[in-house]
Amino acid sequence: MSDVPMNPPADKKTDEKSSTEETKKATPKPPPPPAVEIKANIGLIERAVNDIEPRFTHRVLRSLTALRKRINYDVLREAVEQKWPGNSSQVKAGLLAWLPPASSPSGGDMDVDKSADAKGSDSKAEPVPEAEIYFRLLLIHHMHTSPDTYRKSIELANDTVEKIQVLNRRSMDPIAAKVWFALERSYELGGELADARPLFLAAQRTAALRNDDDTLASLINRLLRNYLHYSLFDLADKLVSKTTFPASASNAQLARYHYSLGRIKAVQLNYTAAHTHLQQAIRRAPAAKVAPGFYQAVHKLSVVVELLMGDIPERSTFRHPVLERPLEAYFDIVKAVRSGSLEDFQNTLARHAETLKADKTYTLILRLRQNVIKTGIRRLSLSYARIALRDICMKLHLDSEEDAEYIVGKAIRDGVIDATIVHEQGWMVCNHQRDAYGPEVADVFGKRIGYCLELHNQSVKAMRYPLNAHRKELTAAENARERERELARDIQEGDFDGDEDGPGGHIGDAF
Amino acid sequence: MASQLATLYKELQRAFDSKPSDLKKCGTLLSQLKIGLIEAGLLLPQGDPNPQDLAVARDILEIGAFWSIRAKDVPSFDRYFSQLWTFYTDYRSVLPPSKREFPVRGLNLIRLLTQNRIADFHTTLESLPLPSDEINSNPYIRHPVNLERWLMEGSYSKVWNAREEAPTEEYKYFIDSLMGTIRNEIARCEEAAYETLPLKDAATLLFFTSQSELLRFAEQRGWEINLTAGTISFARKTNEQEAIPKDKLIVANLLYARELEQIV
Repeated sequence: MSDVPMNPPADKKTDEKSSTEETKKATPKPPPPPAVEIKANIGLIERAVNDIEPRFTHRVLRSLTALRKRINYDVLREAVEQKWPGNSSQVKAGLLAWLPPASSPSGGDMDVDKSADAKGSDSKAEPVPEAEIYFRLLLIHHMHTSPDTYRKSIELANDTVEKIQVLNRRSMDPIAAKVWFALERSYELGGELADARPLFLAAQRTAALRNDDDTLASLINRLLRNYLHYSLFDLADKLVSKTTFPASASNAQLARYHYSLGRIKAVQLNYTAAHTHLQQAIRRAPAAKVAPGFYQAVHKLSVVVELLMGDIPERSTFRHPVLERPLEAYFDIVKAVRSGSLEDFQNTLARHAETLKADKTYTLILRLRQNVIKTGIRRLSLSYARIALRDICMKLHLDSEEDAEYIVGKAIRDGVIDATIVHEQGWMVCNHQRDAYGPEVADVFGKRIGYCLELHNQSVKAMRYPLNAHRKELTAAENARERERELARDIQEGDFDGDEDGPGGHIGDAF
Repeated sequence: MASQLATLYKELQRAFDSKPSDLKKCGTLLSQLKIGLIEAGLLLPQGDPNPQDLAVARDILEIGAFWSIRAKDVPSFDRYFSQLWTFYTDYRSVLPPSKREFPVRGLNLIRLLTQNRIADFHTTLESLPLPSDEINSNPYIRHPVNLERWLMEGSYSKVWNAREEAPTEEYKYFIDSLMGTIRNEIARCEEAAYETLPLKDAATLLFFTSQSELLRFAEQRGWEINLTAGTISFARKTNEQEAIPKDKLIVANLLYARELEQIV
């Protein structure tokens, strides 16, 4: 069930991000009342639609998770009333139908309504459809808070998705992506995640055809999560091979995608690929304190994959304040693998079985058995020049000497140790003196350099420049030139005998 | 479901349950039944068909899977298994559990093992609808899982001894082909791990009962046999000096230079 807790924290990260941004922008410390915030958000969305600048919509969506905890039906109704002041609007009727009937309105509410009416008459045009969908999104999220409305939230989400499909507006894509997420959550809370699959698949196809990257990224992640939830790794793998994940997807989506890929690859024994993906997921994931759930889930898997690759994870990972407690079980496993004692390993496994099963890493860890044996043999081969098979058998707690011989033979063939077995005497002779400076060193070096360069290039690409910022400089330069020209004219008019295109011309050129 | 299909199904059950089962008759009945199933739209069901019909269809396919193994036709088993997949996953909640499900799944696992498709083996294992601790208690699944573990560790003698523990007759067919794989694995290990090996011990290690079998096997692998001393010697690959990979280094250095240029 490791994916389930991943989502709420993964979401939390976006909201925290936005809150840090808010503080950066020096907005007042206590957040504005939800109704005001919704109004401001709708304004931003409208601006985004009119200016074709999706950045504003993204900003609104970043505050979604923080906002959704503070809203209730009354706030929503109030906001709807403000936005659609008249009674004629069909959209308004449609929205209000999803809200439960109003509880007796208090005096305070009436006041707000009045002022809202006054403001409402200012905006003449009908609000953009994006605003309606945004309201619906908030409503779906609010319905998730109580089990009684799960069913209703599924209906609303389906209805909303249909509306989006019909409207087919590119400016709606970022919001649509969030609606899909809400839809998945609705189905999950309703306990019928599998039923949502055909819906996602159809929508994924449409999104791909419309080049709707935001929705596409969100939907691919929805599908992968859906498959992994039911352990359908085959299907998930096929989905990955048949789709291309949009490169422009947000970091949050990319982190999830890499995590899913990491899981798939780990199950398929492709540990190197799994490790790369998990590293990416860790890098893309928000700071540990912000989204602890996701951070822990990725690290758990990453530790297991590292062990399966034959590496020992760094000690500092287990001392991280966010990871220390949840990764306790994994730390014990690492210790057992490091010591190379099968008995230790089995005991630790039995002790933490429940935790590991809950994390869905149990079967992966079962595969570590052979790594434990290999580590044990490697340790022995390093410390002994010659050792009897019977002693190996006893030290590693193997079942019989015969087994030990086969196992050592396999270890030699797999290149774990460099040794020979002398069958007649029943011992293993180790050959040492390995040349440590072979071509593999260059390979490892090359890989690391490649990683650093890639990181540098990615960061350069990720830099954003404010739009039209260069205009300001241009006008400044223009002004300066103007001043120079005036100066030159003054000098000329003042009967200044000298070079015709005096200093003014030169300085002007300098610009 | 058509009555004709029902009579054919009864006949198939009878033919399959009789000891020894009539393989040829089962084969012809199965192909007739499959046509019947296609006509009834049950081979690859869609929508919400009658659960009882589905259960019958599943039963027919399961018999088909077992029959393929008995007739030693692995590709046919593969096909039956893919067809059963829909019944085992998508219609799981509708259908009553089948007592043949886990034997079939176990057989599929062993098949992947004998074909050395370890990655597929693990993917299939992960997608089993079983909690992880039941893998060790379900005899049909435990068997292939243990085999895989021993193979990966190198405890070949355990695999050899497990031949007799097969939970159903059909497993034995795969075990036999597994033995061939194991022998080759052991031989490869021996080539790497030993310089010389007495003939007698080599025979025990490779599970040969007679020396002639061993000699034939040794010849296939191109081992040097010294009959007078009674030993096999393995040609050691000498660690020759590896050349410096010039091209690779040049390419890498040029790449660094270009990237640095971009940065500076």
